[in-house]
Amino acid sequence: MLDLLQDFETEVEGGWEAASKAELHQAEETRRAVARFTRVMWLSAFLLLFFNSAQLVTYVNGFEVGPVQDTVVALGHTWDGQMRKNGLTEPVAAIRAEMDELRAMGWEELRAEFPAMERAIAAFRGQPRVDDDPLRSGLRDTQG
Amino acid sequence: MLFPTLEFGIFFLIVFTVSWSLRWTPGFRKLALLAASYVFYGWWDWRFTGLLFAATMIAYLAGLGLERAERPALRKWIVGVAVAGSLVILGFFKYYGFFLTSLATLLDGFGLARDLPFMQIILPVGISFFTFQGISYVVDVYRGHVRAERSLADVMLYISFFPQLVAGPIVRAADFLPQLHETPRLTREHLGVGTVLILSGLFKKMVIANYLATGIADPVFFDPSVVGAGDLLIGVYAYAVQIYCDFSGYSDIAIGVAALLGYRFLENFNQPYRAASLQDFWRRWHISLSSWLRDYLYIPLGGSRHGEKATYRNLFLTMFLGGLWHGAAWTFVFWGTAHGLMLGLERFVKSRIERYAPAQAGPRGVAGMLGDGAQHIVGVMWTFHFVCFTWIFFRADTFGTAWTYLAGFGHWGEPLQYATPFLTGLIVLAMIFQFTPGNLGRWLAQGIKHLPSPLLALLLGGGIWIIWAIAPAGVAPFIYFQF
Repeated sequence: MLDLLQDFETEVEGGWEAASKAELHQAEETRRAVARFTRVMWLSAFLLLFFNSAQLVTYVNGFEVGPVQDTVVALGHTWDGQMRKNGLTEPVAAIRAEMDELRAMGWEELRAEFPAMERAIAAFRGQPRVDDDPLRSGLRDTQG
Repeated sequence: MLFPTLEFGIFFLIVFTVSWSLRWTPGFRKLALLAASYVFYGWWDWRFTGLLFAATMIAYLAGLGLERAERPALRKWIVGVAVAGSLVILGFFKYYGFFLTSLATLLDGFGLARDLPFMQIILPVGISFFTFQGISYVVDVYRGHVRAERSLADVMLYISFFPQLVAGPIVRAADFLPQLHETPRLTREHLGVGTVLILSGLFKKMVIANYLATGIADPVFFDPSVVGAGDLLIGVYAYAVQIYCDFSGYSDIAIGVAALLGYRFLENFNQPYRAASLQDFWRRWHISLSSWLRDYLYIPLGGSRHGEKATYRNLFLTMFLGGLWHGAAWTFVFWGTAHGLMLGLERFVKSRIERYAPAQAGPRGVAGMLGDGAQHIVGVMWTFHFVCFTWIFFRADTFGTAWTYLAGFGHWGEPLQYATPFLTGLIVLAMIFQFTPGNLGRWLAQGIKHLPSPLLALLLGGGIWIIWAIAPAGVAPFIYFQF
């Protein structure tokens, strides 16, 4: 809205003749791009506010003690609680759990996940596969 | 205020809205950006905003003095005083403790131990970067590459503009000041480039660099004596990728944020680990620093204009000082020196090959092309491993740690403790991106510039959300903040 008002005032003050067509085109292009990215940022902020409310809690927990800060902290916690209740924080929790699993995976587990890789390594070494070797297959569960 | 934080997100939302609302009054817009830059810097420690202002005033006054002075001797004197003044500030805050510690060790060695005036000096964030920008401005005015700026606000904004203030890229006055005199513009291209760079920078820093730092690089460099050679080898590869993703991630976000405010910064990294020679590496790594060192140190020293010996000396001195610029420790000096010596050696070998076995003119056969390809691959492998070798000294706290690290390569029997498939996969992923087409980012930016707002929001917001979800908890500071 502010943009539109400013555009109008500038156009009236300068007059159409004062600016070249190219300048007007650039100004219009900039106005559109600014409006567009402002929408993008607000939509992104709302998306994060709904689906990543835990980050908001981490942020507000860093505030110092004070009447305004305490209110903001309480609001942040309430908001996060509501998002949790509605299940909006579950995707983040699920992704984190997947990531933790991926991080904890050892080389032996990776081989077990991808038998083709295991076969390739065994073939490369000229050894029997782990599955074919009863002595080694028992080690898989104990090695990280 | 760090880029990958909620507080920076809120800060940028305000700065973007206010600065573009003021686009019809460029003077006020610049003042708003200047105020935002000082708030951004003062967020760490407001007292250092005075230091930033002092460094700016030296450059500004020297610029005005150079514009008025006509006698060459006076002009030289002005530029000399301004550069020395800037270096004194940098030297005091960054090298005072290092200098006294080294002096104390030296005196101790000769049995002349003395009580020296040690002080606890806090290193102001980004001091090396804004000092170099100030020097760049003064020297550019002296050389006539740029006119002295009469507006103090413009010089202040040039030196303190928040996207590049604390960790570069080192922006040249000749590139940035003319942009301040133009009508600010924002196009779909700016939005595409900004979005792609911000997302890629966040991913590099928050996911790749942070996982590699906490998962392997920090523990193996903390005590290299307790891990085997496998972990040490993957550990140094991890650090090579970590420092690249950390620093180029910061540069990407800085360039992206500047683009969204309507300003253009030059590229700072160009897939450095695909370099086939050390010279090529330095054309791709921290481009703004290496070109700064070339233009303001190597060339004034004489460059390659005074014969072979002088060229090697200049190369060595440039890299030696480049190493010292990175940090006040002998390990950084060793890192710069090793690069300087190898650059000299590489130049020497290349010149001898060209003299005794010059490249054949005319069309190359299949065998010749295969030979070139093999030579290129060997060059890439050699350069990457030499760079990794020097990263050990760059990352190690002391020479003792670095030697322990190198000695550990003798112990190949130990099982892997830290090099998990996940971390190894991250290293491989980052290395693959070193060999993708150079203009991949530009293609992506071209692809998304026509997306409607909701889809672009989904891409930006969803991208940030996914990065936050998969990244490790907490925000580690950027490595180059300490420089």
